[in-house]
Amino acid sequence: MPTLKVDHGRCTECRMCYIVCRELDLNAVYVAREPLHRIEIDTSACTYPGCTACLMYCPAEGSIVEAESGRSLVPPPLETWRRRGARLPL
Amino acid sequence: MHPILEQFLDKWVWPTAPGAPGAEFRWRLTRERCLKGWEVSLARTLAEIETEQARGDEAAKKTRALRGYAAEGVHMSIKQMSAQLLSVDLSDQARYIDLQRMRARQIWDECKHSKLHADVLIGKGWVKHERELMDEVAANTQPLPAYFGLSMMFPHIHPLARAAQNYYQEAIACLGIMAHLSLADDPLVRHEHLSQRDEELMHFMEGKFQIDMYCTTPEIQRPVEEALDYLMHQIGGIR
Repeated sequence: MPTLKVDHGRCTECRMCYIVCRELDLNAVYVAREPLHRIEIDTSACTYPGCTACLMYCPAEGSIVEAESGRSLVPPPLETWRRRGARLPL
Repeated sequence: MHPILEQFLDKWVWPTAPGAPGAEFRWRLTRERCLKGWEVSLARTLAEIETEQARGDEAAKKTRALRGYAAEGVHMSIKQMSAQLLSVDLSDQARYIDLQRMRARQIWDECKHSKLHADVLIGKGWVKHERELMDEVAANTQPLPAYFGLSMMFPHIHPLARAAQNYYQEAIACLGIMAHLSLADDPLVRHEHLSQRDEELMHFMEGKFQIDMYCTTPEIQRPVEEALDYLMHQIGGIR
């Protein structure tokens, strides 16, 4: 399964992804202690591509990417929000 | 529809987390109401920029930077934020980490807006130091009591009315920035706008997220619709 990672060269550390992930009680996005206070994604807790919520509310173009391919997912490509079967974990 | 608005919609407005319970409501609200306001606002901004550019002088850039320094900086925004924070009793504020986070980020945010406008004024040679702006009336006065009309007048508004405010009004800010970036070639003016782009979009996303997540029933949706009425008609003059 593909996984997500943050492109720290583009991320503005606004933390919308953190708020969204916490609201859904997934808590895959976290604030790291090393490097201090940097936003990271715990791929063992992240359910992408099942959940794509953080991609929908990230305002910094190119700041969340698919780790394996390096493809930018912000703004979210069509298949990440129109894919059949994709649901929020509510 | 103007291509700038179309691009904004495709990149940032329509994408929605699948299954988000308020998404249908937000899409309907956007199609039936927001689009009209956004189109009008974008057209006004583009016309304003074109008029300024047709004059061919630098005066408009100075006026804009001074106006921005007064309006977007520490004066109005911090006052507005203080009023909003006081809607939660001081004794309760420590319990809300997001409130503290919002306060810290907002102070940084507003100071940055001032600095960007000061950068233009210094870079163009209109002032030597930011301190000179203390003697400049235009850098310290502006006509609005608060952004969006809602803030200082109604510090206790419903949280989802605030979400509507972020969604509708910050989209206008984003479109304004896109308009400037599409027409301005002056590096300092581009910097003034580019540096604010992601941040205004973040405010928009806060509203989008809250509407998508929480606006599930007509009763809960009502404050969003009422706020939008106020913003469009009474503040924006859009019918």
